Amino acid sequence: MTRTLPLILVFIFGILGIIPFVVPHPVVQNSDEFLRNDLLRILAAFALVLGLGSLLRVHFDKIQHRRENWEYSWVLLITFFVTSIIGLFGGVSGTGPLPTKIGNFPFDIQTIYLHVEVPLGATMFALLSFFMASAAYRSFRARSAEATLLLISAFVVMLGILPLGNQISPHLPSFAQWIMDVPNVAGKRGIAFGIALGSLATALKILLGIERSWLGGGE
Amino acid sequence: MNLVDLMLKIDRRIIYLVLAVVVILPLIIPSVQHVRVMPPVEKLYNAVDTIPVDKVLMIDFDYDPQTQPELEPMALAILRHAFKKRIKVLALSLYVQPLGLAKAALDQVVGEFNAEAKSRADSIIYGRDYIFLGWQPPPLVPILGMGESITNVYKKDYYGNQTDTLPLMKRVKNYNQVGLLICISSGDPPLWWVGYAQNRFGLKVGVGCTAVSASDYYPYLQTGQFSGLMVGMKGAAEYEELVETRLAIYKHRKASTALPSLTYAHLVMMIFIIIGNIGYFIKRRKK
Repeated sequence: MTRTLPLILVFIFGILGIIPFVVPHPVVQNSDEFLRNDLLRILAAFALVLGLGSLLRVHFDKIQHRRENWEYSWVLLITFFVTSIIGLFGGVSGTGPLPTKIGNFPFDIQTIYLHVEVPLGATMFALLSFFMASAAYRSFRARSAEATLLLISAFVVMLGILPLGNQISPHLPSFAQWIMDVPNVAGKRGIAFGIALGSLATALKILLGIERSWLGGGE
Repeated sequence: MNLVDLMLKIDRRIIYLVLAVVVILPLIIPSVQHVRVMPPVEKLYNAVDTIPVDKVLMIDFDYDPQTQPELEPMALAILRHAFKKRIKVLALSLYVQPLGLAKAALDQVVGEFNAEAKSRADSIIYGRDYIFLGWQPPPLVPILGMGESITNVYKKDYYGNQTDTLPLMKRVKNYNQVGLLICISSGDPPLWWVGYAQNRFGLKVGVGCTAVSASDYYPYLQTGQFSGLMVGMKGAAEYEELVETRLAIYKHRKASTALPSLTYAHLVMMIFIIIGNIGYFIKRRKK
């Protein structure tokens, strides 16, 4: 029953998700609206609680058993609880019942976000360019005709998107645009069709209960 | 170690150092770089420009701090364009992460306009000229739900106001009153807007995306499913160029100021790739 019930639910709700796209009858549309607006949100709320619970359990476990880098779990847990309390009781911009200002020093959620999370996130992503430059230098070699073609195309597109490309030749940005519009689209469209057909086949297999790996555990 | 080996084995720290210098220097000494506007951005600009008076512009802010430098200039340029043309704006996010950035962008542009306003009629007023709907999980729920009723999906806005009490929402029921949606995103949301909102409700979709995801979106531009496309820092700079030249809005051009850094970084990468390849060919010939 623990495996049959989820399979039945997936089949029923999968079909209910498809029908409104082809049946315009108000009864179908209204029930679809209820499913999407109410039921899905309730499920999402449960998923959020489940996800947070899982996250906390993992990090408490890490601290308890002194696993690798367990010290960082304290950072996560402390910041999680502090920002949660500020966010829940302090409001978005310090408008809630909890005071989020000491003198001229605000620490409401918006301030924390803009002055802590934004710089940290931007820094992490900015580091990528250094790794990309180093990796490109090491691995981008014209070893074959295909690799040479790729290299030339990459250079044309890179130069074409820069203002410098237009200064070299006004045709360069147009050529770069053509590469993106024609060969790139041809390749991407082929890949997209493949993915779409694969997704459709997988979705049908899940709906019909042929594919059961998502249930977890053995057969 | 001979010259060829040196060419093949440049210390990564040297690459990092050179790249850091060419990125940081142009930012310390800023200069605006003017760009040639390409058709995808021109198309998007025209799509915004031709939104009917009785319809609104919906902006989906889906960029996070990681992609903020590339995508925020797009948001600022579009907001300036919309407010200058007195186009009403509905802002939202499909994820929780971009909320703070969306609020910051809205506050900045509204502040710019209100600083120059002479009367209440000239000003950009919350609830009358724009609304920040906020965030509703999971992403597909608001996309599909707004096709029926926006106020049913977003019962309260980001600031906790009842949406059905706001003046703008009195005449905006669903996608039928939305002239264009622009999704500024570093991920898949533009495809969701096409797949669910456009296919089912006929919503027009424009996109601002990061340079790395551009190739995924060109097929949709070619078929006309996207009403325009801004790609990366260059796309944002092109939109800034249009906003400045056609609407005479002379504000700080974030993307255009960052372009020199982008140019030199790309050139440095190309030079290193060329050096590596020259070394590789010399070594292969010797063998």
